[in-house]
Amino acid sequence: MDRFAELVIASVLLAGLYATMAYGLGLIYGVLRIVNLNHGGMIMAGAYAGWYLHSEYGIDPYLSLLPVAAVSFLLGIAMYRGLVHRLPRGAAGGVQSLLLLFGVWLVMRNVAYLLFTGNDQTLRTSYSTRAAVLAGALVSVNRVAVFAVALATLIILHILLTRTYLGKAIRAVAQNPDSCTLVGIRVERIYALTFGLGTALAAIAGLLGATLFPFNPSFGAGELLKSFVVVVLGGLGSVAGTAIAALILAAVEVFAILFIPAYLTAAVGFVLLVLVLVLRPGGLFGQRVLG
Amino acid sequence: MLEVRAIDAAYGDVQVLAGLSLEVREKEIVTLLGSNGAGKTTTLRCVTGLLAPRKGEVLFRGQPLSKVAASDRAGLGIALVPEARELWPQLTVRENLELGAYDKRARGRAAQNLDRVQVMFPRLLERRSQVAGSLSGGEQQMCAIGRALMSEPSLLLLDEPSLGLAPIVVEQMFEAIRALHASGMTILLVEQNLAAALEIATRGYVIETGQVKLSGTAAELRSDPKIRAAYLGL
Ligand SMILES: Nc1ncnc2c1ncn2[C@@H]1O[C@H](COP(=O)(O)OP(=O)(O)OP(=O)(O)O)[C@@H](O)[C@H]1O
Ligand SMILES: [Mg+2]
Repeated sequence: MDRFAELVIASVLLAGLYATMAYGLGLIYGVLRIVNLNHGGMIMAGAYAGWYLHSEYGIDPYLSLLPVAAVSFLLGIAMYRGLVHRLPRGAAGGVQSLLLLFGVWLVMRNVAYLLFTGNDQTLRTSYSTRAAVLAGALVSVNRVAVFAVALATLIILHILLTRTYLGKAIRAVAQNPDSCTLVGIRVERIYALTFGLGTALAAIAGLLGATLFPFNPSFGAGELLKSFVVVVLGGLGSVAGTAIAALILAAVEVFAILFIPAYLTAAVGFVLLVLVLVLRPGGLFGQRVLG
Repeated sequence: MLEVRAIDAAYGDVQVLAGLSLEVREKEIVTLLGSNGAGKTTTLRCVTGLLAPRKGEVLFRGQPLSKVAASDRAGLGIALVPEARELWPQLTVRENLELGAYDKRARGRAAQNLDRVQVMFPRLLERRSQVAGSLSGGEQQMCAIGRALMSEPSLLLLDEPSLGLAPIVVEQMFEAIRALHASGMTILLVEQNLAAALEIATRGYVIETGQVKLSGTAAELRSDPKIRAAYLGL
């Protein structure tokens, strides 16, 4: 029973990270119809940013979250204005944007190799190994903190998208951009902001991930794939759908430990992805867009 | 108030408008008539800025619009009710209306304009929490008109508001347009329902393959033998 409770708690805590990670990818796809392959690159960049600020300046990773998110947001806007903006979108622009953003990812990865070598790094703080008893199970304090930050991020996003003019405009642009222009929404500006938001979410997820796992310049590849799984499972843009899908993926991975060797658990998510695509082929990226 | 001066417009290599000119004066209700593919929707797209004319100029209150971004034209007082409604299907009726007042000029008075729209179309109040995609055709048309009114336009462009609606709903729609005109709004109405359009309009233009073929007061057009034969079936 204790073991079961432990695994349930572990699933929920991991799901927070997965949801944050996936939401950025889903948001950009939902609004711009672009698969941001550089999502993986930004996850990696977020991890290194948190690690660097901690190891060089002793800044706690949770303190560097906001500034890293802000810089990534601006970087995302710059990437949109400088690169993505020039590409055709949707069905017509699929290949170009995939190639471009994959290229950006490769560049970022190689810059990371150059700056930090390919060695695994870890972000260790004084509380990294501290644990507490929660509902009869022993849980890591840091994992709870990661979950709390992820949850707060998703709640803020949900409020932004449903309660503010800007958020409603973002959802409206996803559904009919011309009608947005007609009521005075500057669609290009919404695209840039959305790309910035998605990029910031990737960096936040990367920084949180760095407090949990060792990482190197390839960090982000597996996370990108997991983000795909969550987006495919949960549909686009619904915070609730994303959260449920993230929980499913996390639970499947965590509980798989009971049945298969640990080094195979990472593959479980992809088996899930294939199953979903086979069983619900039309469900790729869902029908509802930021409803 | 609105002056379209000899505009040419094209989609890629396909020229659609060729030297089209028309004018809508303050407080008028002008109808733009013509058969399918004549270029009526394209004309409205040039006025709203969704399409840039290749030649010619569109002026609003004497100001050339070629330098005004499409997204700034709502702020000048131009609003369009598009041909296929073009609502945001997964936003609620309420959200669709609220976004109609997105432009900062109208945002401050969004609450009172929302009340006004909901008094005009009580059905929208009943359906306010429903997503727009689940509305009936008539309700969607009301929502599209309501959204346009939320920006407090001085010039309202309506693209075939009666399209695909039951006769009784069409009648309500024309009644609503008449009421808006009576309240002082200037209206450019695109219609294929000539009889109904000429009944409420002050003047009209008939376009064919991107050019004005006929124009005049509603009474003149109603009694024009060519129109009676070609469009009214008389
Ligand atoms: N996006 C587009 N791309 C290419 N051609 C277009 C496009 N939109 C319209 N056309 C063409 O331009 C011409 C005029 O179209 P427009 O929509 O302005 O006609 P309309 O008078 O509004 O017709 P309807 O009464 O059917 O709405 C048509 O021949 C149409 O095929
Ligand atoms: Mg048309």
